[in-house]
Amino acid sequence: MSMRSQVYEWSNLAPGTVAGGGAGAVLRRSQNDLPVQVPANQSTDIFIGGIGNNISTPAETTATQFIVIEDIACTPDISGAVQVRINTTDYFQNPDVTQMNGVPGLASPYPRGSPSVNPTGNGAATTAAQTLVLTPNNLLKSFDLYPDVYVLPGQVFQILYTTPVGTGATQYALNAAGQVVSAFVKYTLYDGPDALIANKLLELGVTINPNNVDWYKRSLIEQQTAAATAAVAAAASNGGAA
Amino acid sequence: MSMRSQVYAWNGTGFGTVAAANNYVAANAGVQISVFIGGLGNNITMPAETTATEFVVIEDIACTPSLGTNGGSAAAVGAGAEQLTGWLQNAAEVEVAGSRGYVQVRINTTDYFLNPDNVTNDGIPGAASPYPRSLGYQPSFNLYPDVYVLPGQVWDVRYTSYQSSANQWGPAVTNLTGAAHNVFCKYTLYDGPDALIANKLLEMGISINPGNVDWYKRSLLSAQ
Repeated sequence: MSMRSQVYEWSNLAPGTVAGGGAGAVLRRSQNDLPVQVPANQSTDIFIGGIGNNISTPAETTATQFIVIEDIACTPDISGAVQVRINTTDYFQNPDVTQMNGVPGLASPYPRGSPSVNPTGNGAATTAAQTLVLTPNNLLKSFDLYPDVYVLPGQVFQILYTTPVGTGATQYALNAAGQVVSAFVKYTLYDGPDALIANKLLELGVTINPNNVDWYKRSLIEQQTAAATAAVAAAASNGGAA
Repeated sequence: MSMRSQVYAWNGTGFGTVAAANNYVAANAGVQISVFIGGLGNNITMPAETTATEFVVIEDIACTPSLGTNGGSAAAVGAGAEQLTGWLQNAAEVEVAGSRGYVQVRINTTDYFLNPDNVTNDGIPGAASPYPRSLGYQPSFNLYPDVYVLPGQVWDVRYTSYQSSANQWGPAVTNLTGAAHNVFCKYTLYDGPDALIANKLLEMGISINPGNVDWYKRSLLSAQ
């Protein structure tokens, strides 16, 4: 299992109180999670940003790992966007080489097919009468992360979620303005020998994907087989000559 | 029939066939369960395991999707709610509509999906790999490279839902009975000679799929 397809999903959900909403970050999801307020115009690291579900350490590749980020996406509502940062360098930039928020959720929606605006209640006065109302559109992706983004051994990477308007205040009474937003990243983790091959492919200028890693392995095996066959043939011909 | 495409579908009520005591209910939220032998919903008789002459390639896993919501608005209008039509608010708080389901693959004792800090996670979210698929829920995730279960290994598909009837949207009745919780697994079973070829392809670093197994057979025949 040295090439593994992986995903990470982030939401602004953490345990809290009904009155105050969710608070801070959490390492494990729970059924008591509530929305945590996401500030406007502030990039939130979905791994260690202190909001919603997080991991214990910054996302980093070891000396024997190689990561290929293949897709990023986020909730399209409230103009959310996702950015990839490798060490201190943002991947997506404006044509004038200034900073931007990244790929808009409208271009790369998560979940794919979701409405452009989060569903809401129908505004009924009681919870018993609340039904879910959706904007009747199903967003498809306009953006494809190709070529993929490579995270070389020893690099730190971040996925940053930014919304220019922020989510609602943390009061979760009926018809209040709480909002759940999510971000998603899909990547392939190459570990051990496959990470070495990934580095070799990078040197050769070959796209790194599972097919090409397998191709490189096959070519190594073929070379070894050919060398062994040649050695046997040479030994046989030398024996014949003697 | 030595290469066979197989599926396994799990439902929290066993599609209405299991006793109420074995239904997936809100009290099971937050606990990872096996969809094969977890004791809830429809199960099989023994752990999923490959024999010495079998090779399994897991090609897709999926589960019930979810969707984040906004707080209710008095001005809300609209239609076309897809699978969420008719879902009701269970309490005053508003957050996620759906099961908040995740599905993980376990080979022997090792979980396949990890966080970037190498800590095991809940697996693939249903929002990324939805089952069933629809216009409103399309996959963002493709299980590639596939997951190989070698001869003699035990494998499991494990489901976790964080739905709670206290603060989520759900179908008013079914979220209590488990009918809204679905998991799907698609795999190919290679048996007998084809399992041997699958092992050979694995050694050669070639992806194991029916096309490559057939290619290997043809190359053996042409060599003769």
